[in-house]
Amino acid sequence: MKSVKLGTGLAFWGDSIRPAIEMVERADIQYLCCDHLAELTMSILSKQKSKNPDLGYTTDIIPFLRGVLEKCRERGIRIISNAGGANPEACGREVVALCEELGLHGTKVAVVTGDDIMDRIDELLDQGIQLENIDTGQPLADVRDRVTQANVYIGCEGIVEALEQGADIVICGRVTDAALYLGPMRYELGWAVDDWDLLGAGTGIAHCVECGGQATGGLYSGGWQDMQRLSSLGYPVTTVFENGEAIMSKPPQTGGGVTVGTVSEQLVYEVLDPGNYLTADSTADVSLIKLEQIGVDQVRISNIKGKPAPATLKVNMGYRAGFVGEAQFTYTWPDAVKKAKAGLEFLAERLQQVGFEAEEERVEYLGVNSMWGPESVPDPEDPDLAEVVVRYAARCTTKEHARNVFTESVPLYNNGPAGASGIGTRPPVKELFGIWPCMIPRELITQKVEIMEVKP
Amino acid sequence: MSRVWDLAHGRSGDKGDVCNIGLIARSTPAYETLCREVTAERVKAHFGDLIKGNIERYELPNIHALNFVCRGALNGGGTLSLRSDHLGKVMYTWLLRMEIEDAN
Repeated sequence: MKSVKLGTGLAFWGDSIRPAIEMVERADIQYLCCDHLAELTMSILSKQKSKNPDLGYTTDIIPFLRGVLEKCRERGIRIISNAGGANPEACGREVVALCEELGLHGTKVAVVTGDDIMDRIDELLDQGIQLENIDTGQPLADVRDRVTQANVYIGCEGIVEALEQGADIVICGRVTDAALYLGPMRYELGWAVDDWDLLGAGTGIAHCVECGGQATGGLYSGGWQDMQRLSSLGYPVTTVFENGEAIMSKPPQTGGGVTVGTVSEQLVYEVLDPGNYLTADSTADVSLIKLEQIGVDQVRISNIKGKPAPATLKVNMGYRAGFVGEAQFTYTWPDAVKKAKAGLEFLAERLQQVGFEAEEERVEYLGVNSMWGPESVPDPEDPDLAEVVVRYAARCTTKEHARNVFTESVPLYNNGPAGASGIGTRPPVKELFGIWPCMIPRELITQKVEIMEVKP
Repeated sequence: MSRVWDLAHGRSGDKGDVCNIGLIARSTPAYETLCREVTAERVKAHFGDLIKGNIERYELPNIHALNFVCRGALNGGGTLSLRSDHLGKVMYTWLLRMEIEDAN
């Protein structure tokens, strides 16, 4: 039976590059698939591009390629990445420059575009495409003047085309995470564009492996104590068969583990209705998935079904949503909590004195209720607590208001209630971007593939 | 009384303002108990104000898993949330603390 062996190279922007370096040395993979993008990443990248037209991609792709590219070219491993982010063309140029520097002549670099619809929004609205928020039903007009980026989660057809044209490295923008894996599956296994069960299976398999270490023992709540050498975690190596089944493993001599438990935890990660996992390429049904331990660090994945791809594609828009200011301080025994609450009042009054305005505020006690919040764990009352750490955060419409949060907390060091410490250094004021999820008919989106060959 | 943790492990993550929490039972009897005891209504009551919207439950019987899709759960969504756990990475642990009747 035909099969293809895929390696997970990266799972997010900033992920460790060492698992991929080990993988290309030790595992017999044909493709290295790299996901660099999360929901917020596109907003950050589009902001960078607006300041410098040569930026806007995840720059970690360059050190990553420096680490693996020569080995990959030597062994014929092809690399598929969405590091292009908001600027795939600029990313492609940098990758070509790197290949030239490394003397990798003849390398073919493909750039896949077509996901960016920022310049088409008004035209789409004129055509009657509402682009309303699918979570809240709000019309786009509510945030239209604050939208900074609009990208469609596109499917794997551009990647398939690039591979057909002989690309060694494929650089994409906002393709779906699953497409990074489904592209080589379709290309190698000859799956038809409307073979929904196979495309659904491939999508489900991709979901199991796209988050890297989260499937091989990282964050494993079912038995983290049993996972050895997590600091040298191996990422998924997956053999996908033409019948839509797969065997997931990891490179030899790496840490972590591949068990039914570790794969199950990843399977349920960021899934809504498991019977209808919507992507650009198919609607996968993983509700009856079977996982079977067939050897040490080897799990067979089977019984994933599929239905037709949805008629619409999901759009991820980012819009400016203000700034966040934060302050954090620690109080000690006796009456640590009482003093902390007096410290918060002190901060509130000082903020009022400078005309502070916030859209929303939050108080958390670290070590007590910072994760589940006062909604689930009440604020501490024990007067005998050795210490409490308070975090105050506020969402503001202007940078100035947000900056004042820390500035007005500084006098707590000398002028506030007794027993204050641990105020720390000034945190950067962070701009916030809201995510506006909406839909667009798929026939309005066309992908484009450009191939560049590295010349001597 | 037991806790969900005695019968299951889990994981949680974000999609906009939705947090999904997956529970994986440690055995077939444990899965049956989870299906009976850990209803969407009980999960909603357990989280209280932390989850503003409705909760739907889905079953993955062959891997003994339940998936809870919780709307309005992340203070406006991962990119806007003022919460320290803005991506809901540890929301599942609060569900693991929930007390249930364990007849097994």
